Amino acid sequence: MSGQTATSQFNFRQYAWSQFKKNKPAYISLWILGVLACIALFAPLIANDQPLYASYKGHMLFPAFSFENVYELELENGSIEKIQLDIAKWKQMKLESVLWAPVPYAPNRSDYLNSDYKSPSGEQYFQTPTGEIIDMPARFRHYLGTTEKGEDVLSGLIHASRISLTIGILSMGIATLIGLVLGALAGYFGDNKLRTTRGQFYTFIVGLVLAYYYAFMLRGDMLSDAIGTSGAALLLQLLVSILIFTAVCYLFIWIGKLVGKLPLLRSTRNIPVDSFISRMIEILISIPGMVLIISIAAVAKPSIVNLMLIIGLTRWTGIARFTRAEFLKIKNLEYIQAGQSLGFSEARIIFKHALPNGVAPALVAIAFGVAAAILIESSLSFLGVGVPPDVVTWGSLISSGRQNYAAWWLVIFPGLAIFVTVAVYNLLGEGLRDATDPKLKT
Amino acid sequence: MLKYVLRRILVFIPTLIAITLLGFVIMVSAPGDPVERMVSAAQSGGEIGSQTANQIEQKKFWSKKLGLDLPIFYFSLNTLAHSDTLYRVYDRNERNALSRLTSEYGNWEAIAAYYSAIDELNSAHGSIKVDSTMAMGYSVDKVKQDINQSYFESSALKATYNETVINAKLETLSEIYSAPYMTILSDKLDIVKEKLEAVRQTATPWRVFVPVVNFYPNNQYHRWIFGDGNWVTGKGSEFTKGVIRGDFGTSYRTKMPISEVIATKIFWSFFFTMVSVVLGYLVSIPLGIQSAVHKDSRFDRISSIIVFILYSIPGFFAATVLLMTFANPDVLHWFPASGVEPVRGFPEGASFFEVWSGRFPYLILPIISYTYGSFAFLSRTMRVSMLEIVNQDYIRTARAKGLSERTVVYKHALRNALLPIITVFANIFPIAIGGSVVLEVIFTIPGMGNEVFQAIVNQDYPMVVAVLTITGVLTLVGYLVSDILYAVADPRISYSK
Repeated sequence: MSGQTATSQFNFRQYAWSQFKKNKPAYISLWILGVLACIALFAPLIANDQPLYASYKGHMLFPAFSFENVYELELENGSIEKIQLDIAKWKQMKLESVLWAPVPYAPNRSDYLNSDYKSPSGEQYFQTPTGEIIDMPARFRHYLGTTEKGEDVLSGLIHASRISLTIGILSMGIATLIGLVLGALAGYFGDNKLRTTRGQFYTFIVGLVLAYYYAFMLRGDMLSDAIGTSGAALLLQLLVSILIFTAVCYLFIWIGKLVGKLPLLRSTRNIPVDSFISRMIEILISIPGMVLIISIAAVAKPSIVNLMLIIGLTRWTGIARFTRAEFLKIKNLEYIQAGQSLGFSEARIIFKHALPNGVAPALVAIAFGVAAAILIESSLSFLGVGVPPDVVTWGSLISSGRQNYAAWWLVIFPGLAIFVTVAVYNLLGEGLRDATDPKLKT
Repeated sequence: MLKYVLRRILVFIPTLIAITLLGFVIMVSAPGDPVERMVSAAQSGGEIGSQTANQIEQKKFWSKKLGLDLPIFYFSLNTLAHSDTLYRVYDRNERNALSRLTSEYGNWEAIAAYYSAIDELNSAHGSIKVDSTMAMGYSVDKVKQDINQSYFESSALKATYNETVINAKLETLSEIYSAPYMTILSDKLDIVKEKLEAVRQTATPWRVFVPVVNFYPNNQYHRWIFGDGNWVTGKGSEFTKGVIRGDFGTSYRTKMPISEVIATKIFWSFFFTMVSVVLGYLVSIPLGIQSAVHKDSRFDRISSIIVFILYSIPGFFAATVLLMTFANPDVLHWFPASGVEPVRGFPEGASFFEVWSGRFPYLILPIISYTYGSFAFLSRTMRVSMLEIVNQDYIRTARAKGLSERTVVYKHALRNALLPIITVFANIFPIAIGGSVVLEVIFTIPGMGNEVFQAIVNQDYPMVVAVLTITGVLTLVGYLVSDILYAVADPRISYSK
């Protein structure tokens, strides 16, 4: 009895966390990651050419927080002055008091006085509200220099961190979803654990074809029209299609149960889930990732969302393999058998009982995966493939630095940003691996 | 062993098919109309009839040459309303319009009649001879202008599916045809209107909701893989011998056969990959061994940190910094910035030594950039696998036997630790073929990676897909080779189950 209490007091999560904390580099990189995430999250407040707060002709304005793009200010003499926030020259306006963002520039916005590659230490100029052109005051310096068009590099870096982090995290989110589900199914069911009647099997296949037909083929024109209009319209149409798809599938699962009772179709057969999923993984890993991603990105319309989808849909194999291996071990453990003998549904056993215990090795793959995804994104935007040309990313900044090697700040700073982010995720991955699997500790 | 190899090869086949399918799907879904691309659109001026007839002829020719007059795949899922011969319409926009019309009205026969009525109206333009008798007293220029506009409108009508737009176009045409000299065409227009009315009268939208599966033994995929001749022997092929016989078609960009382009480009990709891997092995194996044997020593810590830093630096960043520092007239101009040899080439009859010593300065920076990536990866792998081995019982036994440390490390441990490194060999093939896209672009190396990049920029999709397919196949071969090597090198692994 006492032995049992001792084991029940052992908490794997607490143990892993304490191990992780002992790993100083990994623990520190968790903090760095937190800082990076905050920078990405609050980028518009950290680097913005519109003031956080300004008082102008007796009005209190909060341009950086505003959702509207136009202010209509009633002046004392009764006339109305319109200010369009994104093109107003705030730095040249006569503001009574003002609070600037820490970096008072926005990415993609040219500072014409400082165009043509101004170096961080070189001479920079500033136009005062009175119209004079003076040496740059320290408050408005471009501390990391400017691009050819006079865009602030520091501001570009801060805003690009959003893109890198979202692509890294969301694409791995997609990959994790696919990898966990497929890996769990493959490992849990193997090749001969999922049995169904012949009738239900064939009915379901027919159902899948019909579901595809009614959800996507019949609505193909509507979907392709929606792609042309807007993202929201596409999302709505896709949702409708997915709803129809699920509905038809469910209908056929239900019909299949009836068909499975027919005399000839009653015999059961195995569904080789594991072979099928393993083959899928094998196919994906036998195509070199970069060539595949570049090929797909070349065909798809350049957009951040597409890039996320492409990376997510091609990089799930590592996660699936780890999860599968873990599930092969888990499925023979007592608590799974207990669940089965209690008559729990397979879905409940897999997702509620087994998955939380099988997720640790996948975490390692996810951390390394985010690092890889960020590298892929920056390489692609460096090449200018798959990323819209007007979006500032770390890769596109380095690429613009290639036009002029004298502008070293365009290469060094974004490169360091990529390096730090990738290194942080790699350290995190190693820390997780050591913490969750002491055997692998090196 | 032989049985294992045979079984592996059998498993190959579905994977191979899947890879070709993936490539094919990418090619089919590529934006833009390939026929439109191949037919030079720069045709302006001259007689309208002859010119368009020529253009249509060309379109038909390219459509046939590229195999686009065939259905896409062995089978298709379609609606009962749609015709299974729609793919024969060679113009992408017209095909789309017909398909949408069918989805709306559900009666293909009536729509086909409507379409051929417009076609007739369209081709009637070519037979009109404009002269003063025909113009009935109107100015010949005005008549020509009218006919031009009418031709333009009726051509556009073929690619129109929106009901209001169709009505508007018919309206415009009627207006043009109200002139007395246009009677020949206005008769044809009446037929078009009649047929359109028939389409609307006999609409059977319910047919859209009934799915039909059609089978096509001869289709675009089949043609892509097996060519358009006999599919086993390849005899009698007119345009393509098929991927299976190494014919990947014609590049849109250079109009050259893709296999030829690839053959000329593959050398440099292979060269850089091989050199970098050999150099990587030479450096990283001793390094991995040293840091594993002296685990937690100062040497291990420092080398681990350096390797980790190298591992996290993106290759394109390192390459750009190298170029910026060592190929920059303002800093250090030690090496040329791009290419693999002097632009003017080598004089005729230059000896092997002369050629390679001329190339040498061009190769230094690329080789460094290529090597450091594989070096970081290899030495990490080596260290980890060596560490696992060092803790094994048989190493302890060897030490207990009193063998010298050298013998233990280099004779007992190293052999086993090398095994995981063999696996890395599988990954060399695809990189060698696909090339490192980014590095080749940065250093302007005339290899496969650069070719893929140029193909993408110029929307040369057959080229992209060819490289994708070839790399996929060679990766599979690489995996097979490394599996077999593994089995040969490690007697503990038995595949004879």
